[in-house]
Amino acid sequence: MQNAPRDSVPGPGNSPVYLDHNATSPPRPEVLARALPFLREHWANPHATHRLARRPAAAVEEAREEVAAWARTRARDVIFTSGATESNHLAIRGVQRAGRTRILVSAVEHPSLAAPAAQVQAQVLGVDADGVLDLAALEATLGADVGLVCVMAANNETGVVQPLAEVHALCRAAGAWLHVDAAQVAGRFEMPPHWDLLTLSSHKAGGLKGAGALVLRQGVTVVSQQVGGSQERGRRAGTVDVPAVVGLAQVLHQRWPDEQLRGHRDSLEALAEAAGCAVTAPAADRIPNTLHLSLEGVAGETLAMSLDLEGVCASTGSACASGAAEPSAVLAAMGRDPRSGLRLSLGWSTTEEEVARAGRILEHVVKRCRSMEDVG
Amino acid sequence: MSRVVIAMSGGVDSSVAAALLVEQGHEVVGIHMKLHDASPEEAGRCCGMDDALDARRVADELGIAFHVMDLREAFQKAVIDDFVATYERGATPNPCVQCNGVLKFRVLLQRALALGASHLATGHYAQIGEGPMLRRSVDTHKDQTYFLFPVTQKALGKTLFPLGGMTKDEVRAHAERLGLVTAHKPESQEICFVEDGEHAGFVQRARPDVDGAGEIVDSSGRVLGHHDAYWRFTVGQRRGLGVAMGHPVYVSDIDPETGRVEVAGGDDLWHTGLLASRWVWNERPEPEEVVWARIRHKGTMTQARVGPGEAPTVQFLEPVWAVAPGQAVVVYRDDVVLGGGWIVQALKDDV
Repeated sequence: MQNAPRDSVPGPGNSPVYLDHNATSPPRPEVLARALPFLREHWANPHATHRLARRPAAAVEEAREEVAAWARTRARDVIFTSGATESNHLAIRGVQRAGRTRILVSAVEHPSLAAPAAQVQAQVLGVDADGVLDLAALEATLGADVGLVCVMAANNETGVVQPLAEVHALCRAAGAWLHVDAAQVAGRFEMPPHWDLLTLSSHKAGGLKGAGALVLRQGVTVVSQQVGGSQERGRRAGTVDVPAVVGLAQVLHQRWPDEQLRGHRDSLEALAEAAGCAVTAPAADRIPNTLHLSLEGVAGETLAMSLDLEGVCASTGSACASGAAEPSAVLAAMGRDPRSGLRLSLGWSTTEEEVARAGRILEHVVKRCRSMEDVG
Repeated sequence: MSRVVIAMSGGVDSSVAAALLVEQGHEVVGIHMKLHDASPEEAGRCCGMDDALDARRVADELGIAFHVMDLREAFQKAVIDDFVATYERGATPNPCVQCNGVLKFRVLLQRALALGASHLATGHYAQIGEGPMLRRSVDTHKDQTYFLFPVTQKALGKTLFPLGGMTKDEVRAHAERLGLVTAHKPESQEICFVEDGEHAGFVQRARPDVDGAGEIVDSSGRVLGHHDAYWRFTVGQRRGLGVAMGHPVYVSDIDPETGRVEVAGGDDLWHTGLLASRWVWNERPEPEEVVWARIRHKGTMTQARVGPGEAPTVQFLEPVWAVAPGQAVVVYRDDVVLGGGWIVQALKDDV
């Protein structure tokens, strides 16, 4: 293909810059090293009784102990699932407490939690303009009939962190269990210990797709939503995905470089602001890898596509299976234009050179969008 | 060459148009417009669309960038709301013209330019000549200029129609040569957002409180029968009237106020002119110039003169049959589209 006079983007490098870690993060080398033997040699069903099953079975239990140690709970309280979506479903549908049937969920939960919550008529708790849970509303809504409260650790679109210590204290006082979806935090950043049920994702942190967990505080119980097998102590029927599960244990041993990511994120943020973008919730407590932007009069979808064409993989933060950007329920709950969002999410593999290149491309794309003449 | 955005519907025409652009050396970006929810079960979501998946596969075969763009809100406003409102006022809408004028060559074109494209391309059978002026396609059977009249010259200057110089057979042959998955896809015929092809039910669901039932009458007011919704009918329609007169009768007038649908014999539907508004002119002919006009896609060209004013009359040199309010009239000089407008009213000599 020829390259003739179109307005080309400055800078070196042909491989795309990947800034969509909140969708998935590339597998870490340590994860691959640990997982591959269970694809190549130790492939047997870990729930079988013969000799070939021993190594994979042991690996699953080792992984369970590692997850439990990380979560400071007992191994028996770790339920391996296929990922955060299944864990969230298991929390919503599996918690069944006599006399405590009401469920409360924040308005900014991931669709994999918000959707099953809506099916069971959970009550939605509002958030402020930064997307932070309204604690007064939580306190007012809690009651002796509330069994479960779901508040995520950090939002997948905006990166905004929820005040889990305060939320947990309110829940405890009312006797409600707190479920925390930690898909964007666990294996990446420090995970606060304020939860009774915890959703883990492996691939968001640099593990493999296909494994997650629902971790329970001692004394918390869930009813299996899949039957036909006694795996996971009867709480989740189905053969455990051994390579993915050992990968999950592995990512929890590692952390992302908080301060370095914060530096990169802040430099992109400053550049985006200077170019005319608005930063979402700049003053809120945010995980350090996530930057959420909007540009007046330009759909987030257009920005994400433009970046893709110039070699930066980013997202609007809410897409459907067809690939089209969906209006964001999170932005709507925050009182913002639900189509305005662009999410840049950095990760463990992000380099300084990539950040610089992404910055130049972002500047170029924003400038082009702002200088558009109207064809209508 | 430059970056070009191609609107990929998932059909054979836009697939071949995309392939031609790649062969010409452009950096091609395929965009599939998500315009509506395919079925009620899918409402509110935008997943599992076969056409988008076909378009994506073709993009993959061609090795070009591809994105799905969610334009449901704009489509609802510009096309679906207009479609329902036009039927409600007793006229017959043309959603394809609206879609081209607003969705493709305004909203999508604007987005394409924002993506750094120099041009937007589509798989329409039409050509762009000097001016820029819209010209009929080489394949006069497939010519789609009737659907494209609202595209402004400013937009035409940033538009490519790669298929304008080809016949449909050549396009199919090209698709087969390239082995495109869409090569043997049938032509889409129905209105894309009316899933079951029953527009009357669609209008009723959009206007649940409106009662469209009324009488079927002849020109003297004699009641011949009844119908359940006047928006079922279009001027010139013969089917679905359910009246037996011993000779064929056709809808000649629709009154949304009373719901009354008037029928007449075929001879009574010859119109000598029409009144049209909301014109888009590329070049306005002088009132004395004899131009060619057509009142439907693939309709015959009739010689006519366009009067002065914002909502001029179009006087045909020979009568035309069944002018339907709500449809477009498009005016040509030879094969060049001079402009077009929306039909408000049919005219007869004696009126």
